[in-house]
Amino acid sequence: MTEVSLREPTFLILTALAVGPQHGYGIMTDVSQISGGRVRLRAGTLYAALNRLAAERLVEVDREEIVAARLRRYYRLTPRGAQRLEAEVDRMRSNTAVAARRLGLLGGTP
Amino acid sequence: MDDRYRASDADRDRAAALLRDHFAAGRLTPAELDERLTATLNAQTLGELRRALADLPAPDPVLQHGQRVPLPAVALERGYRRLLVFYPAWYRRAHEEEMLAVLMTAAPAGKQRPRIAEAADLIWSALRIRCQPRRDGAGPAWRDALAVLSVILPVILLLIYTVHEAQALQSVPGAFSYGFPLWALQGLTAPLAMAALALLRLQRAAALAAVALLTWLVYVTGWPGWSLLYGTADAYILLALGLQIVAVAASPGPRRGLQILTWKHGALIAICTLAVSTTAYPVTLIVLTVICAAMALASPVGRWLLLLLAIPAWPFFIPVFLMTPWDVDLPSGLGVIGQAYLPPAALLVVFVIAARRRSLRSRTHHEAGRDQPERG
Repeated sequence: MTEVSLREPTFLILTALAVGPQHGYGIMTDVSQISGGRVRLRAGTLYAALNRLAAERLVEVDREEIVAARLRRYYRLTPRGAQRLEAEVDRMRSNTAVAARRLGLLGGTP
Repeated sequence: MDDRYRASDADRDRAAALLRDHFAAGRLTPAELDERLTATLNAQTLGELRRALADLPAPDPVLQHGQRVPLPAVALERGYRRLLVFYPAWYRRAHEEEMLAVLMTAAPAGKQRPRIAEAADLIWSALRIRCQPRRDGAGPAWRDALAVLSVILPVILLLIYTVHEAQALQSVPGAFSYGFPLWALQGLTAPLAMAALALLRLQRAAALAAVALLTWLVYVTGWPGWSLLYGTADAYILLALGLQIVAVAASPGPRRGLQILTWKHGALIAICTLAVSTTAYPVTLIVLTVICAAMALASPVGRWLLLLLAIPAWPFFIPVFLMTPWDVDLPSGLGVIGQAYLPPAALLVVFVIAARRRSLRSRTHHEAGRDQPERG
């Protein structure tokens, strides 16, 4: 299965969900933390991504809570989503390994 | 009031809103907020609500029913809701409440209106969502209407032709004296072929047949405007053919149209067409009004069909509303051409452009899955 590589916000959202179910705001803060504050998702972008990922069955709704009269919906990674993230990690790892080797940062051991 | 009194939903909401304000003000960490909101949500008594707010510097909210000053949060929420209107209805049903929760949670204290960057992000995402095909398989209504039209328009033309030819036969004395008048069938072949192609779901062949017929008719009748000087009969058929080309080429095609149509629809269309083409003026108008009302009420697809069918029907209404085209001389005859062809042609062009853009987009957008995500 050849798939296009994940864009960074998507990758980070999946990474945020890899530890367990999270709600929208949790994902937002987590993504900003993972990326060292570099990627700050806004609500519109976040939910467009979640909507798409749900349609692609990479994430699904875990549970819903009403907290303070506000809907809080938790999303979790599906097995398919975990697989996709893993494939992406492998791809990135092999790419970065080659890049690092060629830059002479890894001392030549493959 | 006593701590042991039972808390109401309104009490819980008030307490929760205050907690959110305190969080926004930086008095609570996200974890503390979560914890306290959960406690608030599950609170049975006023005392439990007070405990959740005990170490926070605010006037006791539980005792001040109806006295809470309007918070900036109220204005902010209204602002966000106004922005969320940009999203399509199905998306709002799925995500509006949780998005609002995220937006309000992320908002700093005292903020009264969404920032420009936030507004831009919401509007931009909304427009992008609107441009994508829906993931539950349902296309926009107007495309379904075109698909339906690609089937029913040739059928309607065929019926109208049949009625015309039958009326012509009746008016010719002794038409049957030399056996069955084959010449009467000649005019039927083209619409018959088009209807057959559409019913057989041959999309491309149906489009080609419509193009060929249009070309042939323009060739036979000469410049379409001239024939209009003698009546509207040719104008409507030319517009109908133009519409058929668009309907076949720019929609999912007769295949989709036949999915939507049922036998009941088919019978209704036949009855309506015959009723309109065989009755005379006052009755026709009443029949038409009833049909239009029924279509407009039936569904979004019905409303689009109504609008589309108005294109070929337009020339019939010119003599009624504007003027009688058959007793004009040449210069005003050009005006008639404009009246007969320009409005429906403009509508047709708009449809072609919209359809092209839509089909380009759906071709570039890779179909990921057909299921719609959860409903909220």
